[in-house]
Amino acid sequence: MTIAKACVVGAGVMGSGIAAQIANAGVPVLLLDIVPKGAADRSAIAKGAIDKLLKADPAPLMSRAAAKLITPGNIEDDLEQLADVDWIVEAIIERVDLKQDLYRKLDAKRKKGSIVSSNTSTILLAQLIAGLPDSLAADFCITHFFNPPRYMRLLEVVGGAKTRADAVKEISAFGDVMLGKAIVHAKDTPGFVANRIGVYWMQAAVTAALDLGLTVEEADAIMGRPIGAPKTGIFGLLDLVGLDLMPHVDQSMAASLPANDLYVKLRRDWPLLNKMIADGYTGRKGKGGFYRLNTEGGKRVKESIDLKTGTYAPSTTARLESADAAKGGLKVLVSHKDKGGQYAWSVLSRLLTYAASLVPQIADNVVEVDQAMKTGFNFKRGPFEMIDQMGAAWFADRLRAEKMPVPALLDSAAKAGGFYKVDGGRLNYFGTDGAYHPVERGEGVLLLSDIKLTVKPILKNGSASLWDIGDGVACLEFHSKMNALDQDSLGLLKQALDHVGKKMKALVIHNEAENFSVGANVGLALFAANVALWPMIEDLISQGQAVMKAMKYAPFPVVAAPSGMALGGGCETVLHAGAVQAHAETYIGLVEVGVGVVPGWGGCKEMLVRNQPGPRDPKGPMPPVAQAFETISLAKVAKSAAEAKELKFLRATDNISMNRDRLLADAKARALKMLADGYQPPKPPELRLPGSAGKTGLNLAVHGFALQGKALPHDVVVSDALAEVLSGGKTDHTEMVNEDHVTKLERAAFMKLVKTEGTLARMEHMLTTGKPLRN
Amino acid sequence: MSKAVIAGYVRSPFHFAGKGALTKVRPDDLSATVIKGLLEKTGVKPEDIEDLVLGCAFPEGEQGLNVARLIAMIAGLPQSVAGATLNRFCGSSMQAIHMAAGAIAMGSGQAFICAGIESMSRVPMMGFNPMPNPALADKIKGAYMSMGETAENVAKRYQISRKEQEEFAVRSHRLATAARQAGKFTDEIIPIAAGKENVVSDGCIREETSMEALAGLKPAFDEKGSVTAGTSSPLTDGASACLVTSEDYAKANGLKVLARIKSSAVVGCAPEIMGIGPVAATERALKRAGLTIKDIDIIELNEAFSSQAIACMRDLKIDVERTNLDGGAIALGHPLGATGARITGKAAALLKRESKQFALATQCIGGGQGIATILEAA
Repeated sequence: MTIAKACVVGAGVMGSGIAAQIANAGVPVLLLDIVPKGAADRSAIAKGAIDKLLKADPAPLMSRAAAKLITPGNIEDDLEQLADVDWIVEAIIERVDLKQDLYRKLDAKRKKGSIVSSNTSTILLAQLIAGLPDSLAADFCITHFFNPPRYMRLLEVVGGAKTRADAVKEISAFGDVMLGKAIVHAKDTPGFVANRIGVYWMQAAVTAALDLGLTVEEADAIMGRPIGAPKTGIFGLLDLVGLDLMPHVDQSMAASLPANDLYVKLRRDWPLLNKMIADGYTGRKGKGGFYRLNTEGGKRVKESIDLKTGTYAPSTTARLESADAAKGGLKVLVSHKDKGGQYAWSVLSRLLTYAASLVPQIADNVVEVDQAMKTGFNFKRGPFEMIDQMGAAWFADRLRAEKMPVPALLDSAAKAGGFYKVDGGRLNYFGTDGAYHPVERGEGVLLLSDIKLTVKPILKNGSASLWDIGDGVACLEFHSKMNALDQDSLGLLKQALDHVGKKMKALVIHNEAENFSVGANVGLALFAANVALWPMIEDLISQGQAVMKAMKYAPFPVVAAPSGMALGGGCETVLHAGAVQAHAETYIGLVEVGVGVVPGWGGCKEMLVRNQPGPRDPKGPMPPVAQAFETISLAKVAKSAAEAKELKFLRATDNISMNRDRLLADAKARALKMLADGYQPPKPPELRLPGSAGKTGLNLAVHGFALQGKALPHDVVVSDALAEVLSGGKTDHTEMVNEDHVTKLERAAFMKLVKTEGTLARMEHMLTTGKPLRN
Repeated sequence: MSKAVIAGYVRSPFHFAGKGALTKVRPDDLSATVIKGLLEKTGVKPEDIEDLVLGCAFPEGEQGLNVARLIAMIAGLPQSVAGATLNRFCGSSMQAIHMAAGAIAMGSGQAFICAGIESMSRVPMMGFNPMPNPALADKIKGAYMSMGETAENVAKRYQISRKEQEEFAVRSHRLATAARQAGKFTDEIIPIAAGKENVVSDGCIREETSMEALAGLKPAFDEKGSVTAGTSSPLTDGASACLVTSEDYAKANGLKVLARIKSSAVVGCAPEIMGIGPVAATERALKRAGLTIKDIDIIELNEAFSSQAIACMRDLKIDVERTNLDGGAIALGHPLGATGARITGKAAALLKRESKQFALATQCIGGGQGIATILEAA
């Protein structure tokens, strides 16, 4: 059975977010909630939820088209529509009686064999199905999403004793391929995997901070990046999720875990937290939390609470040697003598011990637990990877030295040499049976990091490498800092094109960094400009244009497979690939005007080509120019791959992968398909551009924006140069021009702008602050 | 020689471009519906009509080709009725009336449909392919200047405060609201089918607007300026039509005459303050009619912007109490090509309704022009 239609019951934040992600996958979904008392519109709650989805930031929906796939309704009038629904997700209030009432109603109307799942985070599956018919229990499982469902990768799937094995399998496959989630198979135990360990971490982090007398700034300076957790640390994270959530989570955990559980032993009442909640300090959604913005007296002052007295004072930057030392690794951090080091050890020793004591109780193996913490709590490393980083034996020895318990699994892993081992080019994990087993990736998953364990790069320099990913396909990987593109990146791309042309069949451009590429290396350009090395800059532009052109017209398939940000030069790389297989979470845009220049590697040209009118669009030379001008001059960045299609950074024929782990395999398959279909490079297009009349028209519009204060003085300068390029310079609309005509104009405009003070100021500002200068 | 008379006036409901009820209605269909309504309402014999003269400010796309001829076909006019599309920007359909009056004076026809159309939803202002002449743009800054900027120029030159502009805008909405509530538009509006919806009423009037609401708006065109969206006419979809005939024909066929056309004028002015175009045009038309502004009982002065309307009233010494009795374009909307026939037809209808003797309809025109028509009771 494939899931062709879904239904979510409960249109709260989670329910509507889950519905949005199902819609993002292109699957129609019914969103139901109760009928509000006395409401004129009986589906008002679900409708209101959809309105909120459209306004929320970050956006739960990837496109406006996705919103249309969500049909609002209510559980009294619309249950008949369940007749053709393949998967029903329940996301209502956490009360067994209400959930069971609903399940009975759903069961009466649902399609035979459809899957019913609960998004519960606190109730066990066994409780949810107690007393319900076996036929329902067979189709029932738990699908536990994390908030926000679009952006948090984790999906915990729990099957019960009576659940059909294929139901769990189907939902897992749908969650993985269609919803793009990292699936963790959790056992039916309280808090499942991520919350069981994550909530323990939060408790341990708070408790240790109180015991060791750290300030909130000090605690967060350690509990964030230094240990590989999100940069908010612990108190910043509590502010973010909402302080009032914590007592509920705590009570639910404490009530459902046995008295001898380490969590129950660790947890304690925390009067300050209760007082803060009572006073309305519920976090960022309220008046503030452990941090607040004091706006009294007209100034915005960031303040932090004193954990002992409960009074606020202006925040200070924590100065802890251990936080800096953490760059040397976790072992250095937890060995540091200052209170930051002691704090890190206090928390991690408990946390990692707890995690090691819970396998196989909460999940079959350590891989699942690591995956859960990485994708559910955004940890850089999972607990067992953290132990391995310190050295499992070292960690176990220190626990023993401090008279702390050493769980059996940790003890045996320490003796065996750690939780993970690379053997025969494959990553293996330490199983509960005391033996190592290969980490299974699942069909259709290909990771560059796995390939790197087996082979050496074909080509490599400081900024990029070329890998053989099998079947005659090569993968070009950028790996400079933030994947900013420089001469080495371009050089390797050129070499890769030569190599693949001679010895292989197709090229995929992909990497596993957070961002595909943030653009060309601005620092390099600024440096060259400061010493007036103009030929060097012009050479970088020419080189880039030549390589992009060579890629576009390569006689073999080139497939770009971006994920994360693909900006500026990164965007231009994507624009010149023969096909694109984009991760759904790709943020693509030509943002060059932010540093005072125009796209110089064929980005302007490509946007003109892509905006050529279709049969239904207005004719004439201006519409494509005006469209490209708007997209580039406003530095528009698509907030999803779907939106990138609307903005024409992606073609209608380009494909989207929901799951990042499947991106490389999908891109490779696309390249092989293009080969099988008899790949021919595109024919160079000819463009009809308006010439100086078009430029005058665009400048008139910019003049209006300048008057309105929407375009600043240097915006006018940059826009003028952009208008010159896009209108085609000294052409006339009775003539056709080729692509080289436009790239030549790009180069001239870039060189003109890079010599202006306004542009140099923008570059410098970007490099020092990371933000665009408005000048 | 027989004088030209206005023997009928109708319009579509006016709605915001891009978000209003008429967004999905093709302008040719919209205009055809309004013209059919005019024929039905006046009872004129279609075969007697010489020409359909249609004003349109951006005659391209769905308003392109000779759309007047095409609209005649959609409206089912007899094949013998000719069609001409003409463009004097905002003055287009008032010019259509002048053309008909001229033709009648020459004995070149007895009955004319003088219509106007603009779908600002479906054909963008500036058109799909704006291609200004670079040399002219350099030489004369006002040639392609945006209307908002000219409104700011007028506000500055005439020192018209933001508050004064807002008072005028509130007045426009207040009068339009009162007129609608009193059913004073039912006579002139032809219902339009938009998909499943039957659009019977105007969409731009903001009944709730107030000085406080307007004071909260940001300047729309110049961040340091005084003109806001609230003191500008909105981008609008709409159509209008007048029946213009010779007085003899009207009498012979028992048509209900609203007013006689007494004089008309067009005149150019500085493009960067195009909003004061009505001043010279009105002076010229008054002179030709042998009248002074004091003789005029009913005035329809198009409200492109509060600032230009106030400037014109000041220069012409117009009594605001006689002006735009049922509200103006700030409240009703300003579908460029359709406004001229609306305000001329409206002035004629008001002359009749209020039993007055003389009326003036006048408007400013982008690029720097004014146009004016003087009517008298028939």
